[in-house]
Amino acid sequence: MERKKAIWGFVFTIPAIVFFLIFDFYPVANAFWMSFFKKDLLSLNPPKFIGFKNYTYLFTSEAFWNSVKATAIFTFGTFVPMVLVSLALAALIITRKRFQKFLQMAYYSPAVLSSVVAAMIWLLMFDPRGLANQFLNYFFNTYGVDYHWLSNENMLRLATIIVYFWKYVGYFTVIFISGMASIPKSIHEAAIVDGASGWQDFRHITLPLLKPTTLLVSVMSMIQCLKTFSTQYLFVQGGAPRGPIDVITLNIYNTAIRDHQIGRASAMSVILFFVIMFFTYLQFRVSRSEEVSY
Amino acid sequence: MKKFLVVLSLLVVILSFAAKVELVFWTHEDPNRTPLEEGYIKEFQKMYPNVEIKRVTYPSDKIKEVLLTAFAARKGPDIFNIEIQDEYPYIVNGRVAPVDLSVLGLKTYNDLKNQYLEGSLDAVTYKGKIYGLPLELTNWCIFINKKYFREVGLDPEKDYPKTWEDMVRISEKLVIRDGQIIKRRGFDFRYPYYLTFFVPMVEQLGGALFSADGKTAIINDNAWIRVLDFMKQWGPNGKNLGSPTYTAARKEFNKDNNTVAMCESGLYQIDRIRTENPAFYNSNEWMVVPWPVFKNAVRDVKCNYYGHYYMVNAESSKEKQQWAWRFINFMLSHPQDYLVKVGLIQPRKDLIESDVFKNYPYSDVFLEDMKKAHIVPLHPQGPQIEQLIREAVESVMLTNTSSRDALNTLKRKVNDLLKEEQ
Repeated sequence: MERKKAIWGFVFTIPAIVFFLIFDFYPVANAFWMSFFKKDLLSLNPPKFIGFKNYTYLFTSEAFWNSVKATAIFTFGTFVPMVLVSLALAALIITRKRFQKFLQMAYYSPAVLSSVVAAMIWLLMFDPRGLANQFLNYFFNTYGVDYHWLSNENMLRLATIIVYFWKYVGYFTVIFISGMASIPKSIHEAAIVDGASGWQDFRHITLPLLKPTTLLVSVMSMIQCLKTFSTQYLFVQGGAPRGPIDVITLNIYNTAIRDHQIGRASAMSVILFFVIMFFTYLQFRVSRSEEVSY
Repeated sequence: MKKFLVVLSLLVVILSFAAKVELVFWTHEDPNRTPLEEGYIKEFQKMYPNVEIKRVTYPSDKIKEVLLTAFAARKGPDIFNIEIQDEYPYIVNGRVAPVDLSVLGLKTYNDLKNQYLEGSLDAVTYKGKIYGLPLELTNWCIFINKKYFREVGLDPEKDYPKTWEDMVRISEKLVIRDGQIIKRRGFDFRYPYYLTFFVPMVEQLGGALFSADGKTAIINDNAWIRVLDFMKQWGPNGKNLGSPTYTAARKEFNKDNNTVAMCESGLYQIDRIRTENPAFYNSNEWMVVPWPVFKNAVRDVKCNYYGHYYMVNAESSKEKQQWAWRFINFMLSHPQDYLVKVGLIQPRKDLIESDVFKNYPYSDVFLEDMKKAHIVPLHPQGPQIEQLIREAVESVMLTNTSSRDALNTLKRKVNDLLKEEQ
């Protein structure tokens, strides 16, 4: 009987497995394979096997290392504050007795917006005559200063970080809130009976028990940041210099679509794939020692 | 008998459907061109009921990607057009079919060339064959809002900029700033299109993008440095007259909202002004003047022109290719409509010599400039080279990089790119 159930269980997963194999596994495997070839997207000639030459080219390429730098700055500049702020916001919202749902919805709403629309809105704000300059001029009590949001190297990086942070902080806040809500109330009540203050409760009860959610959020947000594309793409289309925000995904896009070098673009994708794998593994390793059970 | 007739008519219907040739036609969005070409499709389908044409439009910045991925998957449309710089690799890689002369009723390629202005088919001539027919050839001239000129005490008819030095001087008069932030630009460039406007500026001073044999790039350092210096002076760290980060000047020009006094654009801009802002169009407050040259220019070369050529997929069946060329030829046999209704110049001799062209506003200005211009440089690595020029120009305009350093980097990178391909 159990065996029959298992067989039927497997049968029901077949559509998902087939879908995964065709739309996920095959493109990944194909990218691995293509990364060993020189192939012009438009050429009708068969791809030419060149071994690891695409990889050796990339590791000696100034543009590729610039992309690594741009991706690293963006990822750490975004995901660390995003995890911290979404945690703080979640703690703040969950302690509210009123407007809890409204605040969750309000913070979550930018995540529903398409990345393209979000980037377009922010491009208008970062225009030299836009709201961003007006706000800083008001805040710093200056007159007519152009803070070069889209032209200065560091301001441009900050601008892309702000867009991403704004878009996803609410999403991760909601995940933290659900993590916090799953902690049994009795544990908090026991701590309060033992005389713990609100901060002590958060520090010694909530935070440790929230470890799996924190891990989930940090892995998800880091992967999201490493895969960022549309904000940088649209900013460059909007006139911003590419160098400071030429993240790996943007470089992959340009190598494939502009330069037609699909083999080289595949090699870059493979490298990005391993980078993401490595950091995900690292985060799991770091968190494994402190698994949570109630 | 009745049964027989029913079966026979059904058979005829089925056969007529089976024999229908379907042509897929991809083009960029152009609200003024769509109704015109939709009309031609209807007419053509009426003339040839066995042909069905599906016209699909994409935004201009998207069509390149969609087309490339479609061709990479060998699922490209039967007919398409993009900018010639991007079409060139399709020709070189054998992805498009040569013009079918028999369908056009011509015997030789020279017969075809004779229908067009001299040199206008050179961009699509490869190894002795012609691979495209021009939908439009576009060069840019300077559009001026006369009102703002008068506002600062200038007479637009006399004081318009003839040289790039004039352009700086006049822009300084026209610009309105709020601190460092520009509220009204005198003029601004069309920044991403460096092969179109920046390279001819270098050529005016004696420089060139490629050597005569095409093996070396960035010729005559001095000319390049002078133009880079000019751009540095133009940008926010210099006289602060414009920057790539402001909204495109040609878009703001149409609004007539005191944000830009001059822009560079093609003849089609006239039609766009008419559509977007009829009041401004009818106000007689705008004019078009030739593209400037440097004061000490050694070559009187104007802004490069670029084109959109209709091309046919080489992997479409022979029958489809023939129908495709027949349809393209049919559309392009209405050059006056394209000019009057869309503002596109098709470089056909019969159009240029017609009264319609001669009477079209400012067509003479565009034509005179075009005579002194050449097509945008065509190279399989063209888009990469344009990106490298962009990096060089933006580094001098937006950072403290010196023109010499920017040029050295540009030179090294472009020549590395050429070597890599050789």
